[in-house]
Amino acid sequence: MTTSWVRLTLPAAVVASVSPSYAVQYLTIDAAQKLAFPSANRFMENGGLTWKAQAGDRLLGLFVVDHVIGKHLYIDYAVALDPTGRVMRVEILQYRESYGGEVREPGWLAQFVGKSSSSPLKVGSDIRNISGATLSSLHVAEGVKRILATYGSRTR
Amino acid sequence: MSLDRRCVLMPTLSSADLALPAGAWRAALLSSTARRIFAVLTATALSIGLAHAQDRRKDQDAAPPGDAALLKKLEQMEQRLRVLESQLKQRDARAIEAAHGQASPSTNPPANAKPAKDRNDAEEPTQPKQPKEQKGLVGAIKPDWATPAARDLTGKTAPVNPPNSIIGLTDSPVTGMSIGAYGEMKFGLQQNPAAGGQWQNGFDAHRLVLLPTYLITPNIIFNAEIEFEHGGSGFDPDDKLHGTAEIEQIWIDFKIMDQFNWRAPGIDLIPIGYINEHHEPTAFYSVQRPELYNGLIPSTWKAPATSVYGRLAEGVYYTIQASSSLEDFGGDFATRTDAKTVPTGGYAAGIDGANALGFALPVRGDFQQLSNDIAVAGQLSYSPPVLPGFNGSVSAYYTPNTTPRGAYADSGAPLGRSSLTMFDAEFRYRVPNTGFEARGEYVFVSLGNPANLRANNDSDPTNNVGKTMYGYSGELAYHLPLGNILSSDWEVVPFYRYTFQSAQTGGFAGTDLNMPTGAGQTQFHNVGVAVFPSPQIVLKATWQKVINRDPAGANSDSVLGGVGFFF
Repeated sequence: MTTSWVRLTLPAAVVASVSPSYAVQYLTIDAAQKLAFPSANRFMENGGLTWKAQAGDRLLGLFVVDHVIGKHLYIDYAVALDPTGRVMRVEILQYRESYGGEVREPGWLAQFVGKSSSSPLKVGSDIRNISGATLSSLHVAEGVKRILATYGSRTR
Repeated sequence: MSLDRRCVLMPTLSSADLALPAGAWRAALLSSTARRIFAVLTATALSIGLAHAQDRRKDQDAAPPGDAALLKKLEQMEQRLRVLESQLKQRDARAIEAAHGQASPSTNPPANAKPAKDRNDAEEPTQPKQPKEQKGLVGAIKPDWATPAARDLTGKTAPVNPPNSIIGLTDSPVTGMSIGAYGEMKFGLQQNPAAGGQWQNGFDAHRLVLLPTYLITPNIIFNAEIEFEHGGSGFDPDDKLHGTAEIEQIWIDFKIMDQFNWRAPGIDLIPIGYINEHHEPTAFYSVQRPELYNGLIPSTWKAPATSVYGRLAEGVYYTIQASSSLEDFGGDFATRTDAKTVPTGGYAAGIDGANALGFALPVRGDFQQLSNDIAVAGQLSYSPPVLPGFNGSVSAYYTPNTTPRGAYADSGAPLGRSSLTMFDAEFRYRVPNTGFEARGEYVFVSLGNPANLRANNDSDPTNNVGKTMYGYSGELAYHLPLGNILSSDWEVVPFYRYTFQSAQTGGFAGTDLNMPTGAGQTQFHNVGVAVFPSPQIVLKATWQKVINRDPAGANSDSVLGGVGFFF
C-alpha cells in the first residue's frame, strides 16, 4: 500500500526535485538580485528599475531590470553589471510566450558574462542564435546591448 | 492642465516633520496614481518612524536599529522621491511634446529605447558624477549610474502590450493582445511535367497568415493562425481564385510549470521534425519548403489535437500529443457521405506513391472525420550544453488505422485496417563564431498493411506504395554579413541542399497491377541564396534540379524567386 504509492509517485518526485518548477514568473526581482550579488546586504534604488548592490559601503555592482519583446509578448529580464560596467549575469524573470523559451537556458545566457559596452553583442557573431527562438534571442541580445550602452562604463 | 498639479512638490523630509500626522500629506497628493505613490512612500516613512520611536526594542525586522540608520532610510526615501519627481517631469514634458506634434516616431519595438539612449548620451557625455552614495567606489573609471535612465519603465511588472503590436503598425486596443503576420510570395520559371516539361512563367501569392495572440491571464495564452493561400478563395469567375481561407492553428495554452504545460484541444501542428512547426519563410533558405516536408511530412501538417509539453532538463524539451489520425482519402471533400464514409463509385487515395502523405491530412471542420481513430505523436528536442550551436530533435507518430469508414477496393472487396508509423530525426548546427551552418534530416514511414491501402486497390498501377517510405536531406549554408544598409544590418546566406526521397519501395500488396514508373524515387538539388534585410524579411532565389527514375524524366526543374516576411 504505502510502498506502491511511493513507487507510483517517486518518478514524478524525482523529476520535480531535480529541476525546480516555475510558473510563468521564473524569478522575482528580489530572488534575481540575490542570485546576482549573493554577498550584498543592501540594494539601493537608483532610478528607473535599477538598483545599486552594496555590501556595507562597498559598491558591488548595478542591477537593471528591463523588458523586450519575444515574438509578440514581453520578456522581463535582469542584467547585473560589475563596477567596471561589464555584465556579470543575465536572468530571465518572466517569459510569457509558448515558444522561444530556450533563451532561458543558462548556457545561452552565460554568453553575456563579461560583455562590455564595446562588445558587438550581435546574434550570429559573438552571441549564438537559437533556431526556433530567433526573435527572442535577437531581442534579448539587443536589450542587453542597450543596457550596456546606457549603464556600462565609458573608456576615456 | 497637468502643469498646475506639478506645483505641489514634496518638501524635504527631516526628523522635525515626524510629528505631523500622515493624513495631511496624503490628502494633497491624491490626484493621480504617481501622486499616490508619493503619498504611500511618505506615509510609510512616517509610520516607520513613529512605530520605531515607540517600539525600538521590539523591532526585529529589516530596519536596522538606531536613529542614524533611520535617518539614512529617510534619505533613501528622499532620493527615491526625487527620482520619481524627475520621471514625472520627463513624462509630462513628453506628453506636452506629443500634444504639440513633436513626438518622436516609434519604429520597431526593439528599437524603441534607442532614441532615449541617444538622448542620454548627448546630454551628459563627460560629466563626472559625484553622488553621495558612490563614496566607496575605487579606481579612475566611474560608471555614470547616477544618471537615471531616460526610458519609462513603470513598476515591477512591465506593461503587457508592446507598442505597435498590431502587425507592427499600431498599438493594440486590448491589453495583452497582439497580431503578427507572416507570408510568402513566389515567382519564376518552372518546368511543367503535365505539359511535357515545358518551361512556364508563374507567380504565386502563396500565403498570408495572421497570428493573433492574446494573454488571457498570465498563465493562459490564446494563439491562432488564420491563413489565406494562393491569393484566397472566391466563387465568381472573374475573381479567378482557387485558394484557401483556413484556420491553420487555434489553441489555448495552460502554462502550469516548467516541466508540464497543457495545450487544450484545438487545431495544432503535429510535432514531427523542425520545419513543420517552424514553417515561416525566414526559417528556411529555399523558396519552396524543404522537399521532405512536401509529401513524407505533409507540411503544414495540422490536425485537431491536444498535447502536453515542457522542459525536462537544460536544453531538453518534450511534446506528447494526441490528434485526429491521417486518413487514406484524398478525394474531394464534398463527396463524403452523410454517414461519414467514402463515396461509392470510386475515390482517390490519401496515401500514394506519387504524393506520399500529401493528401492524407485529417479533416478539421464540421465533424466530417471519416474514422474514430486517434493518433499519438511525441518529440524530444535537444540543445546540448556541451555543443553550443547544435539543435536537434527526434520525433515519432503512430496511428492505429488510416483506413476510412466504408473503404473498398475497385474489385469490390472491403479494405481493412492499416496502421502508420513515422519516425524523424533532424539537426541544425550553426558553428559558433563562424558563418557555417549545417542541417540534416532523416524521415521514415512504415505502413502497417499495404494491402488495405486505397492506392494499391484503385486500378492505377503507377501510384502503388510498398511497406515503407523514407527520405533524407543534407544542407550546407554560410551566413555572410553585408553591413548596414537602409538602417538595418543585412545578411546573405548562400546554401546548397540535397534531398533523396522514396515513396515507392518493396512490399507491395493489393489488387492492383504493380507497375511503378520510377517517379517514386526522386533526388532534389537546390542551390540558391537567401538575403535577410532584417531577421524578419527574406528575399530568396533558388534553382532546383529534380531527378527521378521515371524514363520520361522528372521534368520539374525550376528557377524561382521569393519574398517572405515574419513579424
